[in-house]
Amino acid sequence: MNLTLILFFGFVALLLLALGWALRKPRNARNLPTDPHALEEGQRHVDYLPQIRQALAAADYDFLSKRVSRGALQRVRRDRRGIALAYLSALRGDFQNLLCMASVIAVLSPEVAAAHEFERLRLTTKFAWQYQMIRWKLMAGFAPLPQLDGLSALVSGLSVRMEAALKELGERAALTAELASPMNRGGLSAV
Amino acid sequence: MLAVHKNYRTYAAFSIYVFLNLILGVLAFLVYRRWGFLSNLSWSISWGMQALVLCARGLAIMEVCKHLLSHYRGVWALAWRILLGSASLVMLYAGLAARHGLGFVLPKAERALELAIAVVIVGVFVFLRYYEVEAKREDRSLALGFCLYSCFGVLNNTVLERFLDSYVALWNFLGMLAFLASMLLWTWALCKPKTEGSPKETLLPYGVYQTLAPQFNLRLRLLNEQLVQFWKTEATRN
Repeated sequence: MNLTLILFFGFVALLLLALGWALRKPRNARNLPTDPHALEEGQRHVDYLPQIRQALAAADYDFLSKRVSRGALQRVRRDRRGIALAYLSALRGDFQNLLCMASVIAVLSPEVAAAHEFERLRLTTKFAWQYQMIRWKLMAGFAPLPQLDGLSALVSGLSVRMEAALKELGERAALTAELASPMNRGGLSAV
Repeated sequence: MLAVHKNYRTYAAFSIYVFLNLILGVLAFLVYRRWGFLSNLSWSISWGMQALVLCARGLAIMEVCKHLLSHYRGVWALAWRILLGSASLVMLYAGLAARHGLGFVLPKAERALELAIAVVIVGVFVFLRYYEVEAKREDRSLALGFCLYSCFGVLNNTVLERFLDSYVALWNFLGMLAFLASMLLWTWALCKPKTEGSPKETLLPYGVYQTLAPQFNLRLRLLNEQLVQFWKTEATRN
């Protein structure tokens, strides 16, 4: 087989695959949350992490293993796997909502920065890859259920950073509004 | 369809491309009739006409791409730079992937251009999908017609280069068939009543994107970190 033939046929095949993907309707086309509060803050399933961690705690499982039948234990194990999968899925939901909002902002902006867009693309690809890997591993039962212990420190840090980011955003908006106010421009107080 | 539905107003470059094709087709017929298929003059004239058609096609494609994306000013500004860069890279790839030597220079150059055209159109569709923006049916169909025709042109020229003597007649026939198929698709797209374009989007003020985009990216990064941590937790337990 001629190398030129392979190179060009291969390239065209890749192009047609990309075209097929691009023409396919997305499974959940732009499904923005209707609650404005959710729009502002995202769903943040991470808030429910303590409960999920409790549900997956090793101590609970050990306690049960000494007291219930094997069948019941298996059912518990299956349920715990379901919880882990649901949590993963919720994380993905959060991610997609954010992504959707970011896309809307980019589409409606008179100029976008390539650096931000490429960063978002990189993060999206990374997330999609890791999400699928973890999901397949969990579904196939190759991995023991994650205990999410390592997440607690991260999540508290995450919440703090998210709050800080939102607070900063709020302060900026308030400052802009204050500067735009005619009263403040004139140095007058409303009281 | 272009004249009856007054589509030439919206698709000026596309109309020029179609009419140029028609005129040059007649001209090619006359040239071959006068000087025959094998004369040098016929060869030069027909390839010159082909170059003209390719230029007109390039303009028509630019017009369709603008129709598809240019409502979204920021995204369009980013997209056209990326698409132009990709087209240049693809032409380089086509040059490197082609056999060495100067034989078949014109078909090779044509193939490189066709490949670049296909990449640009697929790129525009990928942008549309990535940003989840709606496009008018006519624009999509026109772009799709161009893309499929270009993909077919690349394959046809590649096979021609490999099996020259035995393939020339079939190459010619298949090329015509592909063009007719594209014409059918374009006719179908333009004969239906025009779909209403989305009302002109009101753009956000300058600065909103610059403020919000880093915040969104920060949040996405944090969610990614969570997933990484999830992954690490599993890995250490294994």
